[in-house]
Amino acid sequence: MGKTKFKILIVAIIAALVTFMSQSTLAYYSTIGTATNVVTTGNIRFIIHEMTDQGTEFPREGVYIVPGDIVSKKVSIESDCEHPFYLRVKMVYGIDSKELSSEDCFKLNIDERHWVLHTDGWFYYTGIVNPGETTPAVFSHVEIVGSKVDNSYLGKTLNLTVKAQAVQSENNPISDGNTYTASGWPAEEA
Amino acid sequence: MLRKNFVIVFVTFIITFLFAFSAYAADGRVTYSGNAGEFVFEPGSEYSLTDLFPNFKGVMPGDTLTQKITVKNNADNKVKVKIYMRSLGAHENSVEFLSQLGLKVEKSSDNKMAYMFDAAANETAGLTNWVCLGTLYSGGEVNLDVTLNVPVEMDNEFQSEIGYLDWQFMIEEFPVEEGDPKPPATGDNSNIGLWIAVMVISLATIIILLVWRKKNKENVEKIPKNK
Repeated sequence: MGKTKFKILIVAIIAALVTFMSQSTLAYYSTIGTATNVVTTGNIRFIIHEMTDQGTEFPREGVYIVPGDIVSKKVSIESDCEHPFYLRVKMVYGIDSKELSSEDCFKLNIDERHWVLHTDGWFYYTGIVNPGETTPAVFSHVEIVGSKVDNSYLGKTLNLTVKAQAVQSENNPISDGNTYTASGWPAEEA
Repeated sequence: MLRKNFVIVFVTFIITFLFAFSAYAADGRVTYSGNAGEFVFEPGSEYSLTDLFPNFKGVMPGDTLTQKITVKNNADNKVKVKIYMRSLGAHENSVEFLSQLGLKVEKSSDNKMAYMFDAAANETAGLTNWVCLGTLYSGGEVNLDVTLNVPVEMDNEFQSEIGYLDWQFMIEEFPVEEGDPKPPATGDNSNIGLWIAVMVISLATIIILLVWRKKNKENVEKIPKNK
Protein backbone atom coordinates (compact mmCIF):
# COMPACT_ATOMS: atom_id res chain seq x y z
CA MET A 1 0.00 0.00 0.00
CA GLY A 2 1.42 3.30 -1.05
CA LYS A 3 1.59 6.36 1.18
CA THR A 4 -1.18 8.11 -0.77
CA LYS A 5 -3.51 5.15 -0.48
CA PHE A 6 -2.76 4.94 3.23
CA LYS A 7 -3.62 8.64 3.66
CA ILE A 8 -6.86 8.17 1.72
CA LEU A 9 -7.70 5.22 3.94
CA ILE A 10 -7.05 7.25 7.10
CA VAL A 11 -9.18 10.15 5.82
CA ALA A 12 -11.97 7.74 4.84
CA ILE A 13 -11.91 6.11 8.30
CA ILE A 14 -11.99 9.52 10.00
CA ALA A 15 -14.86 10.61 7.72
CA ALA A 16 -16.72 7.41 8.50
CA LEU A 17 -16.17 7.91 12.25
CA VAL A 18 -17.31 11.53 12.09
CA THR A 19 -20.40 10.47 10.16
CA PHE A 20 -21.08 7.69 12.64
CA MET A 21 -20.65 9.99 15.63
CA SER A 22 -22.79 12.68 14.12
CA GLN A 23 -25.65 10.18 13.82
CA SER A 24 -26.55 11.08 17.35
CA THR A 25 -27.48 14.59 16.27
CA LEU A 26 -29.68 13.47 13.40
CA ALA A 27 -33.33 12.75 13.82
CA TYR A 28 -34.22 9.18 14.67
CA TYR A 29 -37.68 9.30 13.23
CA SER A 30 -40.03 11.71 11.64
CA THR A 31 -43.70 11.33 10.97
CA ILE A 32 -46.53 13.46 9.64
CA GLY A 33 -50.21 13.42 10.57
CA THR A 34 -53.11 15.30 9.05
CA ALA A 35 -56.05 16.66 11.03
CA THR A 36 -59.18 17.55 9.08
CA ASN A 37 -60.86 20.27 11.11
CA VAL A 38 -64.47 21.20 10.65
CA VAL A 39 -66.41 24.43 11.13
CA THR A 40 -70.19 24.32 10.86
CA THR A 41 -72.75 27.09 10.98
CA GLY A 42 -76.04 27.01 12.80
CA ASN A 43 -79.41 27.89 11.38
CA ILE A 44 -82.75 29.39 12.27
CA ARG A 45 -85.71 27.13 11.59
CA PHE A 46 -89.29 27.11 12.78
CA ILE A 47 -92.58 25.36 12.18
CA ILE A 48 -95.91 27.16 11.81
CA HIS A 49 -98.72 25.31 13.56
CA GLU A 50 -102.34 25.87 12.59
CA MET A 51 -104.69 24.16 14.99
CA THR A 52 -108.37 24.20 15.82
CA ASP A 53 -110.10 24.51 19.18
CA GLN A 54 -110.47 20.73 19.16
CA GLY A 55 -106.69 20.32 19.10
CA THR A 56 -106.67 18.99 15.55
CA GLU A 57 -104.71 20.45 12.65
CA PHE A 58 -106.53 23.05 10.63
CA PRO A 59 -107.52 21.33 7.35
CA ARG A 60 -105.14 22.16 4.53
CA GLU A 61 -107.96 22.17 2.01
CA GLY A 62 -109.72 24.89 4.04
CA VAL A 63 -113.27 25.06 5.40
CA TYR A 64 -116.62 26.09 4.02
CA ILE A 65 -117.76 29.38 5.44
CA VAL A 66 -120.81 31.61 5.42
CA PRO A 67 -120.87 35.30 6.33
CA GLY A 68 -120.66 35.81 10.06
CA ASP A 69 -118.90 32.50 10.73
CA ILE A 70 -116.21 32.42 13.37
CA VAL A 71 -113.64 29.82 12.43
CA SER A 72 -111.32 28.29 14.98
CA LYS A 73 -107.73 28.62 13.78
CA LYS A 74 -104.89 28.92 16.26
CA VAL A 75 -101.64 29.97 14.67
CA SER A 76 -98.43 29.57 16.66
CA ILE A 77 -94.78 29.13 15.80
CA GLU A 78 -92.45 26.49 17.21
CA SER A 79 -88.66 26.72 17.24
CA ASP A 80 -87.00 23.94 15.26
CA CYS A 81 -83.35 24.87 15.79
CA GLU A 82 -80.70 25.22 18.47
CA HIS A 83 -80.50 29.00 18.46
CA PRO A 84 -82.86 31.64 19.84
CA PHE A 85 -84.51 34.07 17.45
CA TYR A 86 -86.78 37.08 17.03
CA LEU A 87 -89.95 36.51 15.06
CA ARG A 88 -92.49 38.44 13.02
CA VAL A 89 -95.64 37.39 11.17
CA LYS A 90 -97.79 38.92 8.54
CA MET A 91 -101.26 37.98 7.35
CA VAL A 92 -101.82 38.08 3.61
CA TYR A 93 -105.37 37.95 2.28
CA GLY A 94 -106.48 36.81 -1.13
CA ILE A 95 -109.45 35.77 -3.23
CA ASP A 96 -109.81 33.85 -6.51
CA SER A 97 -111.61 36.73 -8.19
CA LYS A 98 -110.39 39.82 -9.98
CA GLU A 99 -113.58 41.76 -9.37
CA LEU A 100 -113.76 41.21 -5.64
CA SER A 101 -111.42 42.21 -2.84
CA SER A 102 -110.45 40.18 0.17
CA GLU A 103 -109.78 43.31 2.18
CA ASP A 104 -111.78 43.58 5.40
CA CYS A 105 -113.31 40.15 4.84
CA PHE A 106 -111.52 38.71 7.87
CA LYS A 107 -111.39 39.88 11.43
CA LEU A 108 -108.72 38.30 13.60
CA ASN A 109 -108.46 38.33 17.37
CA ILE A 110 -104.74 39.12 17.50
CA ASP A 111 -103.00 38.54 20.83
CA GLU A 112 -101.72 42.10 21.12
CA ARG A 113 -99.94 41.38 24.37
CA HIS A 114 -97.39 39.21 22.60
CA TRP A 115 -97.65 40.44 19.00
CA VAL A 116 -97.21 44.13 18.24
CA LEU A 117 -98.14 45.63 14.88
CA HIS A 118 -95.40 47.81 13.43
CA THR A 119 -95.74 50.40 10.68
CA ASP A 120 -94.28 47.96 8.15
CA GLY A 121 -97.39 45.78 8.47
CA TRP A 122 -95.67 42.96 10.37
CA PHE A 123 -96.68 41.74 13.82
CA TYR A 124 -93.51 41.40 15.91
CA TYR A 125 -93.30 38.86 18.70
CA THR A 126 -92.33 40.78 21.82
CA GLY A 127 -89.97 38.15 23.19
CA ILE A 128 -87.30 35.75 22.07
CA VAL A 129 -88.21 32.28 20.86
CA ASN A 130 -85.77 29.93 22.55
CA PRO A 131 -84.88 26.45 21.33
CA GLY A 132 -87.77 24.06 21.91
CA GLU A 133 -90.27 26.81 22.66
CA THR A 134 -93.60 27.53 20.97
CA THR A 135 -95.03 31.04 20.89
CA PRO A 136 -98.46 31.93 22.16
CA ALA A 137 -101.00 31.88 19.32
CA VAL A 138 -100.92 34.95 17.09
CA PHE A 139 -104.69 34.65 16.86
CA SER A 140 -107.14 31.89 17.68
CA HIS A 141 -110.29 32.77 15.75
CA VAL A 142 -111.08 34.20 12.33
CA GLU A 143 -114.38 35.96 11.84
CA ILE A 144 -115.86 36.18 8.36
CA VAL A 145 -117.19 39.74 8.35
CA GLY A 146 -120.85 39.49 7.39
CA SER A 147 -121.23 43.12 6.37
CA LYS A 148 -118.46 42.70 3.80
CA VAL A 149 -118.89 39.17 2.51
CA ASP A 150 -122.21 39.42 0.71
CA ASN A 151 -123.89 37.30 -1.96
CA SER A 152 -121.34 38.33 -4.59
CA TYR A 153 -118.79 36.16 -2.73
CA LEU A 154 -120.88 33.05 -3.23
CA GLY A 155 -118.72 30.16 -4.48
CA LYS A 156 -115.48 32.10 -4.16
CA THR A 157 -112.38 31.02 -2.26
CA LEU A 158 -110.92 33.38 0.31
CA ASN A 159 -107.34 32.84 1.38
CA LEU A 160 -105.66 33.79 4.61
CA THR A 161 -101.91 33.14 4.48
CA VAL A 162 -99.70 33.59 7.52
CA LYS A 163 -96.11 34.49 6.64
CA ALA A 164 -93.41 34.31 9.29
CA GLN A 165 -89.82 35.47 9.35
CA ALA A 166 -87.14 35.05 11.99
CA VAL A 167 -83.74 36.50 12.70
CA GLN A 168 -81.16 35.36 15.23
CA SER A 169 -81.21 37.08 18.61
CA GLU A 170 -77.63 36.14 19.48
CA ASN A 171 -75.16 38.96 18.73
CA ASN A 172 -78.16 41.06 17.69
CA PRO A 173 -79.01 43.78 20.20
CA ILE A 174 -82.33 45.64 20.03
CA SER A 175 -83.39 49.11 21.17
CA ASP A 176 -85.90 49.67 23.98
CA GLY A 177 -87.07 46.08 23.80
CA ASN A 178 -88.50 46.58 20.32
CA THR A 179 -87.73 43.49 18.32
CA TYR A 180 -88.35 45.29 15.03
CA THR A 181 -85.09 47.18 15.67
CA ALA A 182 -83.08 43.95 15.36
CA SER A 183 -80.71 43.72 12.43
CA GLY A 184 -81.03 41.22 9.65
CA TRP A 185 -84.78 41.05 9.00
CA PRO A 186 -85.13 39.65 5.50
CA ALA A 187 -86.01 42.12 2.79
CA GLU A 188 -89.67 42.37 1.84
CA GLU A 189 -90.52 40.18 -1.12
CA ALA A 190 -91.80 42.09 -4.14
CA MET B 1 -74.37 0.51 56.30
CA LEU B 2 -71.58 -0.90 54.12
CA ARG B 3 -73.90 -0.85 51.10
CA LYS B 4 -74.85 2.77 51.76
CA ASN B 5 -71.20 3.79 51.93
CA PHE B 6 -70.50 1.95 48.72
CA VAL B 7 -73.33 3.81 46.95
CA ILE B 8 -72.03 7.18 48.21
CA VAL B 9 -68.49 6.41 47.03
CA PHE B 10 -69.77 5.17 43.68
CA VAL B 11 -71.96 8.23 43.05
CA THR B 12 -69.11 10.57 44.06
CA PHE B 13 -66.81 8.77 41.64
CA ILE B 14 -69.30 9.06 38.78
CA ILE B 15 -69.90 12.79 39.41
CA THR B 16 -66.16 13.48 39.63
CA PHE B 17 -65.59 11.54 36.43
CA LEU B 18 -68.32 13.41 34.57
CA PHE B 19 -67.02 16.81 35.69
CA ALA B 20 -63.49 15.88 34.73
CA PHE B 21 -64.68 14.66 31.35
CA SER B 22 -66.78 17.74 30.60
CA ALA B 23 -63.86 20.02 31.45
CA TYR B 24 -61.64 18.03 29.12
CA ALA B 25 -64.07 17.51 26.28
CA ALA B 26 -63.94 21.00 24.75
CA ASP B 27 -60.20 20.93 24.02
CA GLY B 28 -58.55 19.65 20.88
CA ARG B 29 -55.60 17.33 21.48
CA VAL B 30 -52.72 16.23 19.30
CA THR B 31 -50.67 13.46 20.85
CA TYR B 32 -47.48 11.85 19.61
CA SER B 33 -46.69 8.50 21.20
CA GLY B 34 -43.20 7.93 19.88
CA ASN B 35 -41.41 5.47 17.58
CA ALA B 36 -42.69 7.22 14.48
CA GLY B 37 -46.18 6.10 15.36
CA GLU B 38 -49.15 8.01 14.14
CA PHE B 39 -50.45 11.15 15.76
CA VAL B 40 -53.68 10.83 17.68
CA PHE B 41 -56.12 13.66 17.03
CA GLU B 42 -58.98 14.17 19.46
CA PRO B 43 -61.83 14.58 20.05
CA GLY B 44 -62.95 14.14 16.43
CA SER B 45 -66.53 14.72 15.40
CA GLU B 46 -69.34 13.29 13.32
CA TYR B 47 -67.80 15.11 10.35
CA SER B 48 -64.17 14.06 10.75
CA LEU B 49 -62.41 11.59 13.03
CA THR B 50 -59.44 13.95 13.30
CA ASP B 51 -61.41 17.12 13.99
CA LEU B 52 -59.68 19.43 16.51
CA PHE B 53 -62.46 22.06 16.55
CA PRO B 54 -65.25 20.87 18.85
CA ASN B 55 -66.04 24.48 19.78
CA PHE B 56 -66.61 25.61 16.22
CA LYS B 57 -69.90 23.84 15.57
CA GLY B 58 -73.17 25.61 14.85
CA VAL B 59 -71.50 29.02 14.79
CA MET B 60 -73.65 32.07 14.19
CA PRO B 61 -72.97 35.48 12.63
CA GLY B 62 -71.28 37.76 15.16
CA ASP B 63 -69.72 34.88 17.12
CA THR B 64 -66.14 35.05 18.34
CA LEU B 65 -65.13 31.64 19.60
CA THR B 66 -61.90 30.17 20.92
CA GLN B 67 -60.54 26.67 20.77
CA LYS B 68 -57.64 25.44 22.85
CA ILE B 69 -55.51 22.76 21.25
CA THR B 70 -52.86 20.91 23.24
CA VAL B 71 -49.99 19.33 21.34
CA LYS B 72 -48.27 16.74 23.52
CA ASN B 73 -45.20 14.54 23.25
CA ASN B 74 -45.90 11.19 24.86
CA ALA B 75 -42.74 9.52 23.57
CA ASP B 76 -40.46 7.96 26.17
CA ASN B 77 -37.74 9.78 28.07
CA LYS B 78 -34.92 8.82 25.72
CA VAL B 79 -36.02 11.12 22.94
CA LYS B 80 -36.98 14.73 22.48
CA VAL B 81 -39.08 15.82 19.55
CA LYS B 82 -39.36 18.89 17.44
CA ILE B 83 -42.97 19.49 16.54
CA TYR B 84 -44.00 21.45 13.48
CA MET B 85 -47.32 22.38 12.00
CA ARG B 86 -48.61 23.81 8.76
CA SER B 87 -51.94 24.44 7.07
CA LEU B 88 -53.02 22.86 3.83
CA GLY B 89 -55.97 25.25 3.64
CA ALA B 90 -59.61 24.56 2.94
CA HIS B 91 -61.01 21.69 0.95
CA GLU B 92 -62.06 22.82 -2.49
CA ASN B 93 -65.80 22.84 -1.79
CA SER B 94 -65.31 24.71 1.50
CA VAL B 95 -63.34 27.66 0.16
CA GLU B 96 -66.31 29.99 -0.41
CA PHE B 97 -67.73 29.41 3.05
CA LEU B 98 -64.45 29.49 4.99
CA SER B 99 -63.30 32.61 3.16
CA GLN B 100 -66.07 34.41 5.10
CA LEU B 101 -64.50 33.55 8.45
CA GLY B 102 -61.47 34.96 10.23
CA LEU B 103 -59.06 32.59 11.98
CA LYS B 104 -56.19 33.30 14.33
CA VAL B 105 -53.73 30.81 15.74
CA GLU B 106 -51.30 31.64 18.51
CA LYS B 107 -49.45 29.90 21.28
CA SER B 108 -51.17 30.23 24.65
CA SER B 109 -50.44 33.16 26.92
CA ASP B 110 -47.94 31.19 28.99
CA ASN B 111 -45.79 30.83 25.92
CA LYS B 112 -46.64 33.95 23.92
CA MET B 113 -45.50 34.59 20.40
CA ALA B 114 -46.90 36.54 17.49
CA TYR B 115 -49.88 35.10 15.66
CA MET B 116 -48.74 32.17 13.60
CA PHE B 117 -51.84 32.61 11.52
CA ASP B 118 -54.19 35.58 11.14
CA ALA B 119 -56.21 35.39 7.95
CA ALA B 120 -59.39 34.10 6.35
CA ALA B 121 -60.01 30.50 7.41
CA ASN B 122 -59.62 29.10 3.90
CA GLU B 123 -56.08 30.41 3.50
CA THR B 124 -52.77 28.92 4.53
CA ALA B 125 -51.12 32.33 5.18
CA GLY B 126 -48.53 32.17 7.96
CA LEU B 127 -48.80 28.41 8.14
CA THR B 128 -48.05 27.74 4.50
CA ASN B 129 -44.62 26.44 5.45
CA TRP B 130 -43.77 24.30 8.43
CA VAL B 131 -43.68 26.32 11.65
CA CYS B 132 -41.79 24.84 14.58
CA LEU B 133 -43.94 24.79 17.72
CA GLY B 134 -40.96 23.88 19.88
CA THR B 135 -38.80 21.08 21.16
CA LEU B 136 -40.67 18.91 23.56
CA TYR B 137 -39.29 16.36 25.98
CA SER B 138 -41.31 13.39 27.11
CA GLY B 139 -44.58 14.61 28.60
CA GLY B 140 -43.99 18.12 27.34
CA GLU B 141 -46.78 20.01 25.64
CA VAL B 142 -47.50 23.24 23.86
CA ASN B 143 -50.90 24.89 23.79
CA LEU B 144 -52.41 26.69 20.84
CA ASP B 145 -55.27 29.17 21.05
CA VAL B 146 -57.39 29.28 17.94
CA THR B 147 -59.89 32.12 17.55
CA LEU B 148 -62.69 32.07 15.02
CA ASN B 149 -64.46 35.28 14.02
CA VAL B 150 -67.78 35.01 12.24
CA PRO B 151 -68.75 38.35 10.69
CA VAL B 152 -72.20 39.54 11.68
CA GLU B 153 -72.87 40.41 8.03
CA MET B 154 -72.44 36.83 6.87
CA ASP B 155 -75.18 36.00 4.40
CA ASN B 156 -78.17 33.73 4.97
CA GLU B 157 -76.94 31.37 2.28
CA PHE B 158 -74.27 30.10 4.66
CA GLN B 159 -76.79 28.63 7.11
CA SER B 160 -76.13 24.95 7.94
CA GLU B 161 -72.80 25.10 6.11
CA ILE B 162 -69.92 22.69 6.72
CA GLY B 163 -66.33 23.73 6.06
CA TYR B 164 -63.26 21.48 6.11
CA LEU B 165 -59.68 22.63 6.54
CA ASP B 166 -56.58 20.51 6.93
CA TRP B 167 -53.68 21.00 9.29
CA GLN B 168 -50.59 18.87 9.29
CA PHE B 169 -48.32 18.12 12.22
CA MET B 170 -44.81 16.73 11.86
CA ILE B 171 -42.32 15.50 14.44
CA GLU B 172 -38.63 14.83 14.30
CA GLU B 173 -37.29 12.64 17.06
CA PHE B 174 -33.84 13.29 18.51
CA PRO B 175 -32.03 11.44 21.24
CA VAL B 176 -31.80 13.26 24.53
CA GLU B 177 -28.22 14.48 24.99
CA GLU B 178 -26.20 15.11 28.09
CA GLY B 179 -26.36 18.86 27.88
CA ASP B 180 -30.15 18.88 27.54
CA PRO B 181 -32.25 20.14 30.38
CA LYS B 182 -33.54 17.34 32.50
CA PRO B 183 -36.98 16.33 31.29
CA PRO B 184 -39.73 16.89 33.82
CA ALA B 185 -40.90 13.89 35.75
CA THR B 186 -43.99 12.89 33.84
CA GLY B 187 -44.76 9.52 35.26
CA ASP B 188 -44.24 7.09 38.09
CA ASN B 189 -41.01 5.23 37.58
CA SER B 190 -41.40 3.05 40.65
CA ASN B 191 -41.75 -0.70 40.34
CA ILE B 192 -45.40 -1.25 39.52
CA GLY B 193 -45.06 -5.00 40.24
CA LEU B 194 -44.02 -4.24 43.81
CA TRP B 195 -47.04 -2.04 44.39
CA ILE B 196 -49.39 -4.63 42.91
CA ALA B 197 -47.87 -7.22 45.27
CA VAL B 198 -48.38 -4.87 48.23
CA MET B 199 -51.97 -4.32 47.12
CA VAL B 200 -52.66 -8.06 46.83
CA ILE B 201 -51.05 -8.78 50.22
CA SER B 202 -53.06 -5.97 51.84
CA LEU B 203 -56.26 -7.24 50.32
CA ALA B 204 -55.51 -10.77 51.44
CA THR B 205 -54.72 -9.53 54.97
CA ILE B 206 -58.01 -7.62 55.13
CA ILE B 207 -59.96 -10.68 53.98
CA ILE B 208 -58.18 -12.94 56.47
CA LEU B 209 -58.84 -10.47 59.29
CA LEU B 210 -62.50 -10.22 58.36
CA VAL B 211 -62.90 -14.02 58.23
CA TRP B 212 -61.00 -14.40 61.51
CA ARG B 213 -63.18 -11.75 63.12
CA LYS B 214 -66.36 -13.43 61.93
CA LYS B 215 -65.24 -16.85 63.20
CA ASN B 216 -64.20 -15.35 66.50
CA LYS B 217 -67.60 -13.73 66.84
CA GLU B 218 -69.37 -17.02 66.11
CA ASN B 219 -67.23 -18.83 68.69
CA VAL B 220 -68.07 -16.23 71.33
CA GLU B 221 -71.79 -16.62 70.61
CA LYS B 222 -71.52 -20.43 71.00
CA ILE B 223 -70.05 -20.23 74.55
CA PRO B 224 -72.96 -20.59 77.02
CA LYS B 225 -73.38 -17.76 79.43
CA ASN B 226 -72.60 -18.42 83.10
CA LYS B 227 -75.64 -18.26 85.21
